[in-house]
Amino acid sequence: MTDELKSRTSNAESGGMAWWTQQWSFTWKELCETLRDRRTTVTLIAMPVLLYPLVGLMFRFVAVGEALKRAPEYRIAVETEQEAAWLSSVIQSGNHLLEAQSEPLNTKSLNTKSLITNSDPKIQFLIPETDTAFSLSETLAVGGADLGIRVVFSERQISNDFPGADLELFQIADDVLSREVAGWLRQRLVATNLLTAANTIRQSGDEYILPVQERTQWVKLRDQTSAIVGLLPLVLLLMTVTGGVYPAIDLTAGERERDTLETLMALPVSRTRLLMAKYVAVLTVTLLTGLMNIFAMSVTVYALQMEKTLFGETGLTLLLIVRLFSMLFLFSLFYSAILLLVTSSARSFKEAQALLIPVMLMTIAPGLVIMMPGWRLEGWPIVLPIINMLLMAKELLEGTLTLLPAMVATASTLLFAAAALSVAAGLFGMDSVLTGSRSGWRDVFQRSSSATETPSSVVGLTTLAFLFPMHFLASGFLSRFTGSQFSLRLILSAAMTVLLFAGVPFLVMRWRRIPLRSGASLTRPAIRLWPGVVLLGLSTWPWIYEMIMVMQSVGLQSLDESKRQIVAELLQSWRQVPVALVLVSLGILPGLCEEFFFRGFLLSGLRRDMNAAAAIVISAVCFGFFHVILAGGAAPERLFPSTIMGLLLGWVTYRGNSVVPAMVLHAIHNSTLLSIAHFNQDVSQWVVGSSQQVHLPAAWLVVSGFTLAIGLIWVGFSRTSGVRTRSLVTQENSDE
Amino acid sequence: MITAVDDVSLQTFAGEVYGLLGPNGAGKTTTLRMLLGLLPPTSGNVEIMGTRVSEDPHRIRRLVGLVSASAGLYQWLTPLEILRYFATGYSLTARQTSDRIAELTELMGLSSFLNRRAATLSTGQKQRVNLARALIHDPPVVLLDEPTRGLDVVGSQVVFEFVASLRTQGKAVIVCTHQLDEAQRLCDRFGLLHHGRLRYEGTLSELQQQTGLDSLVAMFLQLLGRSAGSSREVAK
Repeated sequence: MTDELKSRTSNAESGGMAWWTQQWSFTWKELCETLRDRRTTVTLIAMPVLLYPLVGLMFRFVAVGEALKRAPEYRIAVETEQEAAWLSSVIQSGNHLLEAQSEPLNTKSLNTKSLITNSDPKIQFLIPETDTAFSLSETLAVGGADLGIRVVFSERQISNDFPGADLELFQIADDVLSREVAGWLRQRLVATNLLTAANTIRQSGDEYILPVQERTQWVKLRDQTSAIVGLLPLVLLLMTVTGGVYPAIDLTAGERERDTLETLMALPVSRTRLLMAKYVAVLTVTLLTGLMNIFAMSVTVYALQMEKTLFGETGLTLLLIVRLFSMLFLFSLFYSAILLLVTSSARSFKEAQALLIPVMLMTIAPGLVIMMPGWRLEGWPIVLPIINMLLMAKELLEGTLTLLPAMVATASTLLFAAAALSVAAGLFGMDSVLTGSRSGWRDVFQRSSSATETPSSVVGLTTLAFLFPMHFLASGFLSRFTGSQFSLRLILSAAMTVLLFAGVPFLVMRWRRIPLRSGASLTRPAIRLWPGVVLLGLSTWPWIYEMIMVMQSVGLQSLDESKRQIVAELLQSWRQVPVALVLVSLGILPGLCEEFFFRGFLLSGLRRDMNAAAAIVISAVCFGFFHVILAGGAAPERLFPSTIMGLLLGWVTYRGNSVVPAMVLHAIHNSTLLSIAHFNQDVSQWVVGSSQQVHLPAAWLVVSGFTLAIGLIWVGFSRTSGVRTRSLVTQENSDE
Repeated sequence: MITAVDDVSLQTFAGEVYGLLGPNGAGKTTTLRMLLGLLPPTSGNVEIMGTRVSEDPHRIRRLVGLVSASAGLYQWLTPLEILRYFATGYSLTARQTSDRIAELTELMGLSSFLNRRAATLSTGQKQRVNLARALIHDPPVVLLDEPTRGLDVVGSQVVFEFVASLRTQGKAVIVCTHQLDEAQRLCDRFGLLHHGRLRYEGTLSELQQQTGLDSLVAMFLQLLGRSAGSSREVAK
């Protein structure tokens, strides 16, 4: 190239636009393109506005009618009108006595009168024409009546001019309704007899009070919701997701269809950033659709006066609307990523639509499944995508949602969304989509033909998304081993740690032909770094512990009294197994393996798409979420301290250009804490919180704080080795 | 595995228009996509002004402007918004963007439809916007892939004038086309690509010496006759 040409590069290469300004411009373009499109606005506004009133009207005329308990109709066959009249009087008299007994204690608050009236049966007497042959048993046999009664009047009297009778009841064998009618009638006959007996006694001048009396109080279930409310999360979810479908297709497959994809790919910008802008646009439209849906639903419910039918006594409150929106926000975060994942691999609108049909079906099926009784947000459903969100929504509406499962479910959902987005970034604009060649998904997951030095962020986040539920399930499995099986539990815990945090990334690296050394930053660090690393390893635990105490003091507390007792017993179990086993299984191996994954594999992957600070923060937050999960439960108070620890470990990895210092720091940290807890009864009780002692002694904090400061300064000012590993070199062009 | 391009080696210079010629499926677009780093070659490399595409594809993209075969535009945006969007993509500052848009509006005659929605523009107007978009970051190298495809005589003339102006601006230009007559008018040097291989390369007079034929069309017919035994492809 000539000097003249070189001089012309100044403009082409110039530019100092801030990262965020540039990203906002990308997002703004996607938003303009989406929101100006009439098809988006139609889905966004017209659908909810039209649909909810229609569904509401339908519900009002069909579902509500069914839901209201209509008075049952009992058909009683008798042979004469006289018998019917007599029976009617007896039933009325019996009803009178029963209603007097059922009168509630507090009629003002419960409106029980209407309840009784609603459930009172309607009696239909079937009387034959005088000149037709009639048989009670035949009438019942052909289903013409529920009960047949033959009345033979007797000399006995119920009251003056009102005769007694012998009744012959015809009942259909094994018929529930017939049995119900007979039981209902017998109740009234007994009441009539009782009333007559009491009157007779009173007439003879004696005071007679029924020896056994009953009184019924009618109680309504608190927050009782109709069955249709169970469907509400699913309906809102489907309606909300529908809003995101068109923008997701238009912004991905649409780029290819209108021939703008190639020029977009020719920009010196990573695909991840372009896709993030599209994600924000799809998320915005999805959230707007969610808001429109909530608005249209609220207006419909209010206009048709269905608040109490749908949402119980409290009706549709602002709190409920906020809850619904927060639920839709999580749905939108997840589904916007899933929609982009699916549509990014499509080469046309039609292909994208065809690919999205299974996604929608996958949403409906679990939505219907969780309506069955027994499904709660606990156990393995917590980490199952879609099911956990729907269960969370259901419990949120019922008011039974608890914090810990909600946190784990939310973290799991967000991780799946991040993984979906990462894979989508790998798919978007790939050669097969750009040129219309066959392949696509196969290209993403097939074994690489050539070796790469580090995993991509797509590979890192996808592995993380699958490790999270696996770790959760494995932790639950381990919590089953208690008491004498503690050694076995430790061994299994060590095996689980190695398999998940070292085995899984190792296999992924083998599959992707990524060398272990560069892929997990397993390089030799500078020797001068070690004193600082050891000091940090020895001095961080008191401060992490104090942070946990602070978190607990602000209300983030996972251990109640019973659980503290269990943990205290666990500590006793520790002392019965060799200390070496405890240190290896809970200290050294987790330190080495977790660092291999978080600071080695994941951080290297994230560094390919973002700067060091962002990559360290993201890997640290993921590390924090993993530490929230404990065997058989969750500890939200560990999120912040573990994230801080993750930041420190990420920084040390960055400074050392190697994951090895972080591995050693983590192992020393764990082992120090475990050793002290193993040999010192007091400290062990402080650490598990089973003691009233809340904070560590001030002298400990001063010494550890001083040591920590020296360690930080040492690492911060240590000159690292001259050779930077590739995993830590900025590679902004990674996704090419 | 299909080999789209095989052992292609070419060089171009500032102020030169290089015609990469060949029938459909010859490997022209694949070559351009490798030049941009959109497709990694199985072996070999691309170097622009000392930067290898395998080492820094983003720098390469800052140095190259691409005019793709189709004039695809974002239908809900105006040409002004499209140009601003791509300026952002190339990290131009607000000042640089406004200056550059003013220059290109003048050069390409965009002023009458700069604020109209792209969907309402004619094919020729869309192609003008497309050409302006490729130059928004004032790249020293411009790649044009079938720039006159689907254009009428007037539209094609805009492209010819555009390429001529690029030459005078001292840019290195590579034009991919199978329209041999227009290539003969536009280009300073030629590379004749067939079945993924560069069969001949040089100026028109050099090619005439190599082949003993007068025109590019005749050279191509001879080339196809040798390798494929058919001249029908040229007629496509």
